[in-house]
Amino acid sequence: MLRNDADSWGAPAKLFHWVIAALILAQIALGLMAASWRLSPTKLELFFWHKSTGMLILALVALRLLWRLANPTPALPSGMAAWERAAARLSHLLLYVLMIALPVTGWIVNSASNVPFRIFWLIPLPAIVAPDKPTAELVALVHGGLVAVLALVLVAHIGAALRHHFVKRNAVLVRMLPGTRRRP
Amino acid sequence: MKEIAALLVLCGLIPIGAVRAADWKMDPAGSKLEFIATFEKTAAPGVFKEFDARLRFDPDKPAGSSLDVTIKVTSADMNIADVNKEIRGKDWFDYAAFPQAEFRSTDLRRSEGNHYVAHGTLLLKGVKQPVEVPFTWTGSADGAVMEGELLLSRGAFGIGAGEWAASDVIGADVKVKFKVKLRKAG
Repeated sequence: MLRNDADSWGAPAKLFHWVIAALILAQIALGLMAASWRLSPTKLELFFWHKSTGMLILALVALRLLWRLANPTPALPSGMAAWERAAARLSHLLLYVLMIALPVTGWIVNSASNVPFRIFWLIPLPAIVAPDKPTAELVALVHGGLVAVLALVLVAHIGAALRHHFVKRNAVLVRMLPGTRRRP
Repeated sequence: MKEIAALLVLCGLIPIGAVRAADWKMDPAGSKLEFIATFEKTAAPGVFKEFDARLRFDPDKPAGSSLDVTIKVTSADMNIADVNKEIRGKDWFDYAAFPQAEFRSTDLRRSEGNHYVAHGTLLLKGVKQPVEVPFTWTGSADGAVMEGELLLSRGAFGIGAGEWAASDVIGADVKVKFKVKLRKAG
């Protein structure tokens, strides 16, 4: 069974989760390095990989959202307080919003800077806004601010997963791990 | 049918054939000089907004012709604010030391039909290199248009010095495209 059900994630949902998680961590590192590197071919190379990875994440997140909407979402464990449920919902919603807003703001920066770019040297990235330096600078600031928000939400997300596992001793973390299929 | 075609060709050719090694002046409004670099294997186009071409040329007798192009390097525009700032520097065009480039040819030859090649010397960033500039010549009632493109190796002129000489991020070849609208001078 590939599909999710009421209390477990199917393989595609897990694959989306972990592949995108790995890409996001790599992406944050690439972005920080690219932004802080002195102007050099290496800096341009870092930006090239950062932009390509960002567009890959955006495409994967779009597919992931479709898959999520087409599948049941496993229920949160019983016995969670109302604030915990609210926090879980809010942080998951925020993660999806950020996974879209970060690539899109990056895309806007690239368009506004008018830098020619093909994703992984292959797919030309169309411009979504007109070239304009002030726009590029402003949206670059927003992009950086969103990274800070993402870092906070990721800490909450990972912290909550560990708390579910080690403190509350429920299956929330384990059921997202690969290879843990529900018993028939 | 053949006679009519021959007649049309003749009618078209006679006015041009009557021109003998005329002097031509560039009409800047109808002229364009582009250079297309590559960034991560993607075209990164730019233009030299200011340049001038002077030509002594008879399309039917190109021997004895001459072509003289001056390019205001400092008018380069690559459409990206940060890049425009960067290319002024020593590693790239070095505006302060080499504000102007020149191409001179006194050896223009017809290759076939309206295709010609100007064999000449390009002076760019203080480096002189022999360059062949192929072009097509299209005469009209009020003037002529010469158009062409060629590939230049930026390394030969020291454009992109030091660590920028590596060609994996910014490609080694730069395509130069030109369209020059000409009017007969005087």
